[in-house]
Parts: sequence; structure tokens; C-alpha cells
Amino acid sequence: MRYPRLACGVAAALLASACAATGTTTTPQAAAQETAAPGFLAVADQALAPGGTLNLQVHIDSGAATGYDPQLADVATTWQLLSLSYETLVTVGPDFSVQPLLAEKWDTPDDRTYVFHLRKGVAFSNGRKMTADDVVGSLKRLLASKGVWAGQLGPVDEIVKDGDDRVKVTLKEPYTPFLAALANVPAAILPMKEIGDKSVDPATTLLGTGPYVVDNHRQDVSWTFKRNDTYWNQGKPAADTLNITIAPEEAARIAALQNGGAALATLGNVDSASMLAGAKDVKVVTQATTDFYYLMLNSLKPGSKLADPKVRQAINIALDAQQIADIALGGKGKPTAITPAGLPGSCDPATLPSAAKSVEEAKKLLAEAGAEGLSFTLTIFNTEPAPAVAQVIQQNLQQAGITVKIEQMDEASWSGKVYGKAPAEFDAALSWFAGYADPGMVTKWWNPETAGFNAGFMKPDKELSTLIDAANKQAEGRDEALAQVCAKADADAQMIPLVTRPATVAYRADQLSPSLYATEGYGNVLRLVADARVKKSR
Amino acid sequence: MRLLMWWSGRALSSAATLLGVSVLIFAAVRLMPGGFAETVLGPFATPEQKAELAARYGLDQPVFVQYGHWLAAVAGGDFGFSMISRQPVGAELLARLPITAELTVLAVAASVLLGVPLGVLTAVRARPTGGGAAGRLLSGLGVSVPEFVLGSLVVFVFSRYALGLQVGSWVPLTRDPAANLATMILPAAVLSVFSISVTARTTRDAVMGVLVEPYVTAAVGRGESPWSIVRHHILRNAATPVVTLIGTTTAYLLGGALIVEHVFNLPGVGSYIVQAVGRRDYAVVQAGVLLAAGVFIVMNVLIDLLVGAIDPRLGVMAGRRA
Repeated sequence: MRYPRLACGVAAALLASACAATGTTTTPQAAAQETAAPGFLAVADQALAPGGTLNLQVHIDSGAATGYDPQLADVATTWQLLSLSYETLVTVGPDFSVQPLLAEKWDTPDDRTYVFHLRKGVAFSNGRKMTADDVVGSLKRLLASKGVWAGQLGPVDEIVKDGDDRVKVTLKEPYTPFLAALANVPAAILPMKEIGDKSVDPATTLLGTGPYVVDNHRQDVSWTFKRNDTYWNQGKPAADTLNITIAPEEAARIAALQNGGAALATLGNVDSASMLAGAKDVKVVTQATTDFYYLMLNSLKPGSKLADPKVRQAINIALDAQQIADIALGGKGKPTAITPAGLPGSCDPATLPSAAKSVEEAKKLLAEAGAEGLSFTLTIFNTEPAPAVAQVIQQNLQQAGITVKIEQMDEASWSGKVYGKAPAEFDAALSWFAGYADPGMVTKWWNPETAGFNAGFMKPDKELSTLIDAANKQAEGRDEALAQVCAKADADAQMIPLVTRPATVAYRADQLSPSLYATEGYGNVLRLVADARVKKSR
Repeated sequence: MRLLMWWSGRALSSAATLLGVSVLIFAAVRLMPGGFAETVLGPFATPEQKAELAARYGLDQPVFVQYGHWLAAVAGGDFGFSMISRQPVGAELLARLPITAELTVLAVAASVLLGVPLGVLTAVRARPTGGGAAGRLLSGLGVSVPEFVLGSLVVFVFSRYALGLQVGSWVPLTRDPAANLATMILPAAVLSVFSISVTARTTRDAVMGVLVEPYVTAAVGRGESPWSIVRHHILRNAATPVVTLIGTTTAYLLGGALIVEHVFNLPGVGSYIVQAVGRRDYAVVQAGVLLAAGVFIVMNVLIDLLVGAIDPRLGVMAGRRA
């Protein structure tokens, strides 16, 4: 009698877990409209007194298998939490421009050299001043690490101290996304003196220069952050304490928002805004992100028709990304090319070669490949909105005579099937990438020699890889180079970009005055939490 | 001597049951689809990182070797480390156990305080139609509605109309007992619906069985008051199946806590196991299931002792098979 209930519990939990679902604002309740500056969904009211406790709820905890080490963090949910205690040399603004953080400015004497002028008065939360040695050591440690972000820093040749307050980084060749890559949590500045003398293990201790210090953390239960009294930025953080509850169940987060248990919560389902319709003082906003869903077609599975580029192109032509955005994402996503929609310099998906072709041309390509009546299985995870996206894909491809069987599984089973073996065992699979803050960064994942995690289902395309590298070297005329990358990836179609993946955030306007970017590149809803003002604590 | 033999028999059968459960759960978690490495480390992990993880937790060794090491460690009270949190599983279970225990105690209390009187009432006032049928319908509904359906409904309704109760967040008992109770009442209510229904039905059947006994008829003939008859002649004689059921249900409620804790976002043992299953956190699932089996066994022993105390004819010393 117990085991069916155990199975039932597991099934319910798997069904209930949620993932995050474009800078649009939905106000279910006629709450007081806050006038946000361009690029912001909300700007904290600085007239409110600082202090107080902020209760937040998020759907998932940090991926702690690798501990708290930011250099090994590879998912946005971890970046979000670690960013409360760690900071980087530079950060990104609401328009994705790179802005100073721990470096107050930088010089680029040539296109391969960056000289960072370190901000004075910055200290780690143990009180020790940050030095150029911490910066040099952190970046070298990142490059030597097994973290996926090491690959995003580009062709770094040398990192040296240039006086007490300057650090010089020399690249082997120009690499345009370099500064944007430095703006994410894995490139955070660590307390290298303490790491060196082993008095601090970054896997178990968070010791950064950020606005908050960890008071308590119970994995998958909660975090408590207290303000960092040694924080260099005077007046921040505004709230004294952050209580972050991990609440995997979306309905529980919605309930906590409604009854005031949480002042802010992240939401996963695109329908959650309507669930909160009429809720007093609750404001729901949709933050556009550069993250996007994509379809993986396994070209390495023995005997698979998907190994034929014509078949993959036919599938690409038959897909209607706008329909996916409208139906599966409630109109909140945007069709995208390999360069994330919304980022400056990204390609317009409407200009891709596949967008100009008709379903009839898809059928013709299938006939040429001898793949009429093509049938394959699409493997997806069961968190929304993946099933809805899969259903639209199924209907799109049916128009071209392709039969898609949807295989839905929990995320662990999905991960095992998609990434567990090489060659991978699936036909097609649905996933999403973080889109980052530069249009060239995510394109690197289209080269399986760089992105080893794709090597199980994807053949390297030398021409595409060459175009990607070339686009990332260029500062001038980069749009044209990226357009070539987009067109080539569109023709290769081993990974087909679909639609962007917006994030929904809800907050209690009576408890909190937050600051939120309208568009986020690193999935960090909590990026501006140090600015948030508490109206009343519960 | 008989008591000693009974205890020895129970200890042996309990150990055998736990051993069987340990083999089953150890095999089951490894037969689940999906690799632990991809789940724990994420898709970006390199083969070297996956190998390192497997080596760190001994998962690169043959399964029977893994089982031997795990069993030896468990026998010494060490349930291993969570691959996700890298913290000792035993300590986390201990930290979460009070929440699940509180939830279960509240649910059991509701079952006894509501289920037993309801059962007695429907039995002594049983009619071919009317109240009896309504009672059967209600208890049938209570048994049939799954906790995640009822829980989701309660969360939805009470998130809008809180009535002083709290949904979606939890407050430790030690910090604020009143606030804690406000967060625990609804989950306990959802969890108890099944057991209240079953308790009421079982009590009703047991009481009806006793009602036709000659000593009840004699009591009626003696002019005793209905309350006196219920109290002195019916309840004690009808108690055996009810006590057995409540004991079994207590262990059964721990299974229900898996769902209820998840739906209400309570950081108990149930939500710990659910998350661990989703992430293939082997040590946590194994320890959690073993703990549940242990509770079940202990509850059965307690039931046997309690039944013996209530009705010496059925007790351990009466030679009842252990």
C-alpha cells in the first residue's frame, strides 16, 4: 500500500516541478504603476528608508553538487544565488552594455589587450582588501578549472598584475565577447589569499565582495543572507536580511505571494499570471531573457534519417517558431536565430533562409532524401512549457508529412537519455540554452569540439565553426559576420533555435519596491536585489 | 521466556524485512532511467567530472560491492552523503524528521478525534438509508481523492482566503509555535482525510459487530444508558481493529507526507525523498525508504503490544503468532 503512494508522490512531484517560462508587464491587479526607466521593468523607490527583511521564493536551489565554487557553476539558478555574495570585474547594464563593477574602468590599448583599473576600497566580507593578486589568481584559476565558463573567456594568453591597482589581460587574438564573459558569476573575484593558504574552501564557503554574506543555507530548503557591512558601495544593500525559500511547487509560491508569505517569487508557468489575476497588491512582470529553446536532431544515431542535412533542413523549414511563441508561451517568447533575439547585433530570424521557404519545399527536400513518411521520437522533459512546445512542433511537422511521437520524461531520465551516452540514443530532443550577454557567446555551443556535451549527437561543421570564430574576433562589421553564422547554423540544423524563454516574476507591491531589468542575459532575476527597498516586512 | 522468544522472533523478522527492503531499494534506484552524473552535475559536465563524481561516491564499483559498503555503513549508523548537498544524509533526515513527525501526529490525532466518534455515531444510528449512506459516501470520497488533488485544491482556495492559516511557507515550531501551527493545520488536514475516512469506516464496522453481541443486548435489558453501553461495552471490544488500523495508518501517513509536504512546500523527510528521487540522489532515497520501512516495522510491534494490552486474549503472552 505504501509503494503505490510513493510512486504517486514521485509522479506528482515530477509533474509539479516547474521551469521558468518578454519585457512585457502584466498587472493583474490595478496596483500602483511604477514608472520604470527605459530598460527596466521596475526601479526601486529610493525615497523609501533602507533596512528590513525581504522574503523571496525561488523554484530551485543552487546546483550544489560542485559546492559553492562560482567557477564551476554552470546554471543560471546558481549564478543568481551566488551573485549575492560574489562580484565580477564588470557587469552588464539594462541595454547589455558592459559597465564597471570591481574594475572602475578599463583601457584597451589594442584589440588584444585589456587593462583593468581596480576599484579602491573593495574588501571581502572577512574585511581583507581585494588586491590585484586576487584578480589575477581568480582569472587564472578559472582558466585552469574544469568549469564550462573557462571556454567562454576566449583565447586568453596572459594575465598579469600591472601595478597594485591594475590587471592586464592579453588575448592571443581579438575576442569580442571577452568583457561580456567577464560579467558573469563564474568570473567572480575570489579571495585567492585565503584559498591559497587553505583557510577558505570556495566549495563550502562563500567569501566574496558582494552586498550580502550567507548566514545560513540548507540545501533545497532555504538561504538566509545578511548585509555585508564591509560592502564598498555605500548605501547598498538596502535590505538588511534576505530570506530565500526554495519552493519547487509553483502553487505554493503563488499561495505565498497571495497571502504575503513571500514578497517576490519566480514563476514558471506562462499561465501563472492569470492565476494571480485579482490578487491584491500582487504585480506580475515578464522579464525577457536571452535564453532560448532549441530542437536537437541526432545526426549521429546509426541509421537515422536525421543524419541527412536535407531532412534536417526540411524539419527546420516546417517549424513555425512564431506559432510556438504564441501558443506554447502565451505570446511571451520571441522567435530567435542562433544569436539570441533581443541582444544587440543578433540576427533577425525572419531573414533566415529557412524562414523564406514553404512547407512544400520541405516536402520536396524530404522526397529528395528518400524520407517521405518520416517518423521520429521527440524526447522532452515534463516541466512546462516543454510539453506545450513539443505539441506545437508535432503539429507543425505533421503539415510536412512528418510524424512525431512525443516521449515525455522526468528531467533525470531526459538528461540520461540525451547526454548519457555517445552516440546518444534519442532521435530528437528539446532543451534550452542560456543566451548570455553577447550574441556570439552561445554560438560556441554549435561547435561540439568546444561544447563536448553536444558531441554525442552532433557532427562538427568546420565551416560553421570557422564562421563562429571569425564573428567572435570581429568588432567592426560583426553584424554581417553573425548573419553568416546564423544562416550557416540554419542550414546545418543539427540544433534548431526556436523561441526565447521569458522569466515571470511576481512581487507584492505593498511589501517591496524592486529594481528589475526588462531583459536579462544571465538569467539573474536577483541581479538588482541590493537596490530593492522593503516597504514592510512580514 | 515466551516474551523473550517473541522479542527475538520480532527482531529477526524485522531485520530480515529491513534487509529485503534494502536490497530492493538499492536495486530499484540503480534501475531508474537517467544517469546520476548528468542529473547531479548537469549536461555541461565533462566525462572526467562524471568519473570523478562516481569515484567520490564509490559508484564506479560493482553494484554488489557498493551494496556491501553501504550496508556496512548503515549498520554503523552512517547513511552516506547526499550527492547534491554533499552533507550527511543522516543529519539531514534527523533535521527534517520533526516536521514529518509533527505532520503525522496532527493527522493521526485528527483521525482518532474525528474518525472514531464518526464511526461510532454512524454505527449506533445506522439506518438502511439516510445518514449511514451519507457516511459511507463521504468516507468513500475521502478514501478515493488523492492527496495531490485535494492538496492542490486546498492550496488554491486557501491562498485566496487564508482564514488565518498559512500556505506556501513554513515556520519552525521552535521559532513561533502559533505560526507553525498555522502552517501545519492545512497539510495535516489534507493528509488526514484518508485516515479519518478509513478510521470511521473501520470503527463503524467494528462497533456494528459488537452491537449484536449478547452482552450488549443484556446491557440494554439492564436499562443502562446508551453512553454507558458505548463506553463500557462497545468501545473496548471494538477497539482492536481500530487500534491496528490507526497504527498501520500512522506508518502509511508517512507515505502520504511525500506528496503533502511537496505540495505545501514543507521541508520534511517526504519532500527530501521526492527531490532526491528526481535528482537520482541515491543515498538519500535509500536512507529515506529504509527509514520508512523501519517506522512501519516499529509501528507493527507497537500495535501488537497495544492490542495485547487492550485485549489480553490476543496479546503476546497469549501465544499469538508474532
